Amino acid sequence: MQLTLRQTRKIKLTITHVLLVIWAIICLFPIYWVLITSFKHPIAVFQGPKYFPWIDFQPTLNAWKFLLTGPTSASVYRSWSNSAILAISSAAIAVMIGAMAGYALTRFRYYWSGLKWRNNNIAFWIISQRMLPAVVVILPFMIMFRVFKLIDTHAGMILAYTVFNLPFAVWILRDFFAGLPVDLEESALIDGASRFKAFRSIVLPLAAPGLIATFLFCLVFTWNDYLFALMLTFSKAATLPMFIAGEGTQSYGPQWWYLSALSLLSIAPMILITLLVERYITRGLVVGAIK
Amino acid sequence: MQDAKSTKFKPTIPRNLIERTPLRDRGASRAFLMPTVILILGFSVFPLLFSLLLAFMSWDLSRLEGGMRFIGLKNFTTLVSDPRFWNTARVTVFFVVGSVGLQYVLGLGLALLLNQEIRFRRFFRVAFLVPMMLTPAAVGYVGRMLFNESMGPINDIIQHLGGPLIPWLSNSRLALPSLILLDTWEWVPFMTIVLLAGLQSLPPELFECARVDGASEWKIFRLITLPMLAPVSITVILIRALEAFKLFDIVMVMTGGGPGTATETVTMYAYTVGMNNGNLGYASAIAYSLLIMVVIFSTIFLNSLRGRAAAVEA
Repeated sequence: MQLTLRQTRKIKLTITHVLLVIWAIICLFPIYWVLITSFKHPIAVFQGPKYFPWIDFQPTLNAWKFLLTGPTSASVYRSWSNSAILAISSAAIAVMIGAMAGYALTRFRYYWSGLKWRNNNIAFWIISQRMLPAVVVILPFMIMFRVFKLIDTHAGMILAYTVFNLPFAVWILRDFFAGLPVDLEESALIDGASRFKAFRSIVLPLAAPGLIATFLFCLVFTWNDYLFALMLTFSKAATLPMFIAGEGTQSYGPQWWYLSALSLLSIAPMILITLLVERYITRGLVVGAIK
Repeated sequence: MQDAKSTKFKPTIPRNLIERTPLRDRGASRAFLMPTVILILGFSVFPLLFSLLLAFMSWDLSRLEGGMRFIGLKNFTTLVSDPRFWNTARVTVFFVVGSVGLQYVLGLGLALLLNQEIRFRRFFRVAFLVPMMLTPAAVGYVGRMLFNESMGPINDIIQHLGGPLIPWLSNSRLALPSLILLDTWEWVPFMTIVLLAGLQSLPPELFECARVDGASEWKIFRLITLPMLAPVSITVILIRALEAFKLFDIVMVMTGGGPGTATETVTMYAYTVGMNNGNLGYASAIAYSLLIMVVIFSTIFLNSLRGRAAAVEA
């Protein structure tokens, strides 16, 4: 049978859609699984896999009640709010400082005669700090934090995360500023505005999409971090991933239903961010990786 | 890569503006860059050097005051003959190669699929993006649930399809592949999105010409798409590999390094030695060996690909 061009194209598109749907199911199934497990009775978990609420198991709110009002609830609230405070403040600071550096690297010409470094060398030096394995710097960090009494404090963690996020923020924002037209700030400068004023009132508003994307990335990195929190906190400033990992490795064995609800507390905000600002995230990723 | 970057940047840097900017900008140029430089010098470069110093010391975490002693290369000689370290190095390299390779193949496939006139584009984009946004500690825990032998859905589905009961996490040979699968699930999105953007930036005329000339789809893919996508491919593979070398959080939660030490990574070993055993000097030596591994890998990877790219151009 001879297929027309249109028919082959149609078949190809159908196969494409089938494959895409299969991958979408693979992407979403684990999230669905945590969600339903958080509504299961212990019995429904131990009887083997159950897939559909009301059909093969009776959902219950017990795990959620225990999580939000049980004996561990105080730690849950504290670690959740710690995660939020640390992520928001360190992301905001990293974006502010990173925006200044990113702007400077595209508008001023630097030359450091010591190593004959120019703008691109400086930018590469900054991003290379993000590439090295965190474990190399984390032990000295811990010792420095002990000496300066910053262990398990919010201030210390905000500092640590700001430094962790800064190279990435500079790298991404440098690209955004490089793509902005200079005419507006040039005329403001000619009219006598100071460089800082031109930066604040003209450049920053123009770069808003880039600032938002960068902020979101730093937010997600910090919210998701485990290594820094594990090394530098133990209770007062402990974050949600630490709490999850701690509960997950208890000697009495994992309480799947309770841990599922707990994991959702950490996952849900990230899903929400993805749904709301997918465009910014995609753009930030592409700029950060390709440019 | 550096050269490509600098050429790309030239037109956007307003050189004439810089030359015309008044003297007051000398102060501004310093003020804008200083905070970043100071933070990085103080909290990234200094710890890095401090860590290097520690690698030549014997220092116990429980006696931070006055316990530091110079022992030369002893930490490194111990390291070379430490079978547990070599095991972690092997696990880490196997993980990097396995997960990044799998992610690239799947990511490229999905990017090619998405780079067509498909429906529900937004739904797919969001669904495909979600895994990489999730907290690794929670993902590790989810993996532990999914791969559970008797209560997990993966084995259940395999058995429904007539397959055997697979001891994913309790078999020391399968634990690492399970981790690779989970990491792949989380990070294919990154590859997909960036490679898709790379595909969309290729000139469409080129493909039309090839099609008009009667080239098969496979030939177009092999001779046009892949070579033109090479710079983006190198970048995403490098970024993912650098991250994969640091593997820590999902292993800690999913297998805890077990069974035995079958999934213990270099980062985990450095953590255990430094925090649990309190041997800061030896832990620093382990951490530095990871840094050396990363540098060697990036150099070899970039050089071999650059050589091949030059051969293709010639």
